[in-house]
Amino acid sequence: MKTVFIVYNQALMEKVMHILDRLNIRGFTMWEDVQGRGSDKGEPHYGTHTWPAMNSATLTVVEEETVPALLDMLKKLNSVSEKQGLRAFVWQVEETV
Amino acid sequence: MKITKSSVKKPITTLLVFVGLMVFGVYSYLYLPIDLYPEIEPPIITVNTTYDGANAEDIEENITRVLEDNLVMVSNLREISSTSRDNNSTIFLEFEWGINMDEAANEIRDVIDRVERFLPEEAEKPNLFKFDVGMIPVMVLSATADESYPALRQILDDRVVNELNRIDGVGAVNIRGGPTREIQVNVDPQRLEAYNMTVEQLGAVIGQENIDRPAGDMDIGSLNYPVRVEGRFDLSEELNDLVVSSFGGRRVLLEDVAEINDTLEKMRVDERTDGERGARISVQQQSGANAVEISSEIMERLPQIKGALPPDVELTTIVDTSEFIVDSIDSLTQTVLYAGIFVVLVVLFFLGRWRATFIIILTIPVSLIVSFIYLNLTGNTINIISLSSLTLAIGMVVDDAIVVLENITKHIERGSTPKEAAVYGTNEVGLAVVATTLTVIAVFLPLTMVGGLSGIMFRQLGFIVTLVVSISTIAALTLTPMLSSQLLRMNNRREGYGGKITDFSQNILKRLDSFYGNILGWTLRRRIVVVIIAVAAFGGSLGLLNVVGTEFMPMADNDRISAEIELPMGYKVEKTAEFARILEEDIGEKYSDEIEIISTSAGQGEGIFDDSGPNVIEFTFRMTPINERDRDIFEIADLMREDLARYPEIVEYSVYPGGGPGGGQMMMGGSEIEVIISGHDIDASMDLAEVLSERIDEVEGTRDIEISMDRPRPQLEVEFDREKLADHGLRYSTAADYVRNRIAGFTATRFREAGEEFDVVVRYGEEHRQNIEDIENILFYNENPQGNENPQGRMETIRLRELGWVEERLSPPVIERLNRQRTITVSSSLHGVALGEAVENIEKVVGQVDTPEGTTIEIGGTVEDQQEAFSDLFTLLLLVIMLVYIVMASQFESFRSPFIIMLSLPFAFTGVFLALFITGTTLNLISLIGSVLLVGIVVKNGIVLVDFINLMRDRGLAISQAIIISGKSRLRPVLMTTLTTILAMMPLAIGIGEGAEIWQPMGIAIIGGLAFSTLVTLLFIPVVYSAFGANRLRRERKRMAHEMGFNGE
Repeated sequence: MKTVFIVYNQALMEKVMHILDRLNIRGFTMWEDVQGRGSDKGEPHYGTHTWPAMNSATLTVVEEETVPALLDMLKKLNSVSEKQGLRAFVWQVEETV
Repeated sequence: MKITKSSVKKPITTLLVFVGLMVFGVYSYLYLPIDLYPEIEPPIITVNTTYDGANAEDIEENITRVLEDNLVMVSNLREISSTSRDNNSTIFLEFEWGINMDEAANEIRDVIDRVERFLPEEAEKPNLFKFDVGMIPVMVLSATADESYPALRQILDDRVVNELNRIDGVGAVNIRGGPTREIQVNVDPQRLEAYNMTVEQLGAVIGQENIDRPAGDMDIGSLNYPVRVEGRFDLSEELNDLVVSSFGGRRVLLEDVAEINDTLEKMRVDERTDGERGARISVQQQSGANAVEISSEIMERLPQIKGALPPDVELTTIVDTSEFIVDSIDSLTQTVLYAGIFVVLVVLFFLGRWRATFIIILTIPVSLIVSFIYLNLTGNTINIISLSSLTLAIGMVVDDAIVVLENITKHIERGSTPKEAAVYGTNEVGLAVVATTLTVIAVFLPLTMVGGLSGIMFRQLGFIVTLVVSISTIAALTLTPMLSSQLLRMNNRREGYGGKITDFSQNILKRLDSFYGNILGWTLRRRIVVVIIAVAAFGGSLGLLNVVGTEFMPMADNDRISAEIELPMGYKVEKTAEFARILEEDIGEKYSDEIEIISTSAGQGEGIFDDSGPNVIEFTFRMTPINERDRDIFEIADLMREDLARYPEIVEYSVYPGGGPGGGQMMMGGSEIEVIISGHDIDASMDLAEVLSERIDEVEGTRDIEISMDRPRPQLEVEFDREKLADHGLRYSTAADYVRNRIAGFTATRFREAGEEFDVVVRYGEEHRQNIEDIENILFYNENPQGNENPQGRMETIRLRELGWVEERLSPPVIERLNRQRTITVSSSLHGVALGEAVENIEKVVGQVDTPEGTTIEIGGTVEDQQEAFSDLFTLLLLVIMLVYIVMASQFESFRSPFIIMLSLPFAFTGVFLALFITGTTLNLISLIGSVLLVGIVVKNGIVLVDFINLMRDRGLAISQAIIISGKSRLRPVLMTTLTTILAMMPLAIGIGEGAEIWQPMGIAIIGGLAFSTLVTLLFIPVVYSAFGANRLRRERKRMAHEMGFNGE
């Protein structure tokens, strides 16, 4: 089991949802309004007047074999409009209840 | 914004909400009546008191002063003036505009009730009279006739007046001129004396003979019969054989003592249309009725009415006020349409895409139509003000949509789907859009709170623009993103014809962007030069203020000129009419291309406020429509004045372009200067007035100088010796009646024929009323002389000359008062000269004249209104500037940024002055209003630019980089919103069509101010920003570092 944490420009929310559905990933947790900025080129997404964009974050725990497909689709999504901003981070799930 | 999200999610609901709004708007539009102005109730009430037998001074002392002293306490009173003449006192109370006149009237009634007991007992109860706009005729028709002339009045009464009265909303219909049938019993005094009869007896006999009387009823058998005594004359000739008395056993017939004429009433007024005899019918509207509806209804019925008239009677329209209204409204509607077309072109040019253009254009009808709902719900009309508001708004309603759409497009170009772009793109700029709308509202809403006449005029403007702009913002936040999400496509491949246009315009705009970037770089390097140039331009424009004249209201050409000409006192109507024919011919020939109809009335009118005399001629010229004429009515009026000055017979003349004095001109603009001379000594004031009127005549631009007090007019006065009257047992009133009955005559009875009644008037025959001697010869009879009982019991007879005397004297003066002081006013209308300048010159003249002690001179008239309105507007301007500052400061959360933006304001005024100077327009109420409105329109550009520079700075760019990038990025939205507003104003500023003159100054002022201030915003504001603009980000970082003790790192 792996945890995939996806942070992305709110504008991409529906598409991220679509990807999850496509891969039959049922469980996820989502924060609609989160702030952040990219480490490299990513513009701040603060939801302020200066930086009006906002991020959303989705955290999903999936079987290990699903991860590459998910990351692949997310990469594709990001490459269509890189300026919007999308990042995914994967880590191990130690235990579950 | 939630509202955006849900409207994008529910496109059908959003669409239908706006469709519903539009349907309601169109429905409202269809039921809206048309009028020239919003409903205005003139705030004037007159109090009229009759006190028979008192002379002007007594009236002034005992009635006018008592009433005035108490009426001043009525609230909201602006001015109180009065005229006291023999037997009558009239007080004019002028109130503040916009107050409730019913309340004012009640308050006046209370005052009158309270002071009534201080008035002389014989005086009648004071009458209240509220002046009503409805009193100005909506329509004036003239009727001319040949063989039907003697019966013309009757015919008109039957077939025209009755018909017109039936039309809904028509108030009084009056006939002026035209003959009235009258049966005259012209008594020969000598014969009457021979039979020992008086005129009164004769009248009584005629009255007693001409009766029908019901005499009860009788039952005969089983039937009931009413009984009637019939004595009415069937033919007027029957009067001849009427037995009036018996003398020496012989019957005396009426024809023995008098000549009976079944003829026409003596003409008091001679009415002509294009020189033909006739009568004039004036139609007034009921208060609250709609002039346009009434006149279109009349026009519809007129052919039918004409059909029922004898063939020689012709009806022509002399004045139709609705014509001007309809034409003005039509031309304004056209203006709105042109403005719309210009806006569409600008948007298309900048965006280069049909779909985007369509989305933006759609906000125009959606938001404009809402104003009709407002007008309908508040019971207003479509008028010049409401339509001009729409012209003003049309360029502004697209602004929000443009900003929103621009941002959405940017998001789509970055790769969002239209739906997401719509939501997030709108959210990003939503706040800025609301803020700019708030600044506009901050300007227009206070407009609804201005007092005075200008307040009434501009309340609608304020409400409509506020409403329309608010709706346009709502549409920009809902409809625009919704449509964008539905209509815009991700790939913007443009091919074919449309693509070429787009490429063309986008190329130009790209080049413009980089050109502007270069200029900005240049100016930022030479800040001092730019500041010096700007300050010099502003300073220079202040100099223009002296060159640009001021005036109150611009005047409009409504195809009408009227003139009033006074011939020497004592001219008979016939002689006046004769002279009128000469004038008609001369003037008609000279201006044959321009005058359509001349309508003339010579002699005494019949209206309440008509103070014309038999020696006065009134002309109404109906001119050809303005586009068929080279000269405007003002020019023609000037030429006519020159012509009239050439006739030696004319004592005084006034030519009123635009229609009569007062009523017609009140709303049409036009200025008048009044020099008010106050002082108790009337003779001294009058002398001064004469001197002043001559001097003012020499001042440039003054016309139609008039002294308010009439020149005294000769009259014959009969005075009786009271002791002698008493000796013969006569009362003064009896004696006065004797004289009156013989000269003016009295109605003895009414002769009935075909359902109509005509007066039978008994008086001395004309040949016995020729000179003073005839009056002196009037014979008095007394039945019961005191002291010397007449032995035969017969009546005693005395001639008037034994009881009193007749003298020729000048009529007593009419005493005029203003604010409880005796005054004489010298008034002058102006043409071709600015009001401010003329006042200055007249003040100079007044300064040169010696003023006797106890006399003061003041200047009033339109100047007063102007000063009042201008000071109202300046207060408004201050208020507006403060409000706009507050709105901006709270948006930027800064004191400095709004200040920088507001630096463009002075230049807006520079632009206004420049534009006024170039076009030769004056600074008047309308252009001033335009300048006030500019405050809200001008700062919008500044907000867009400074906001973006702030943004770039906050995002960490260096100041000059931030400025240049923002400048390049904001140039298009700024140019686009500015161009839409300017081009939308263009049709108004060019001023084509009827009545356009009124609104032209506003268009010119806004275009000039906006164009110039936009230039300043684009060049000067960045320079100022670079000098003063704080870097919030850096300051914040410094503070934080300081707080945490990271200093020096």
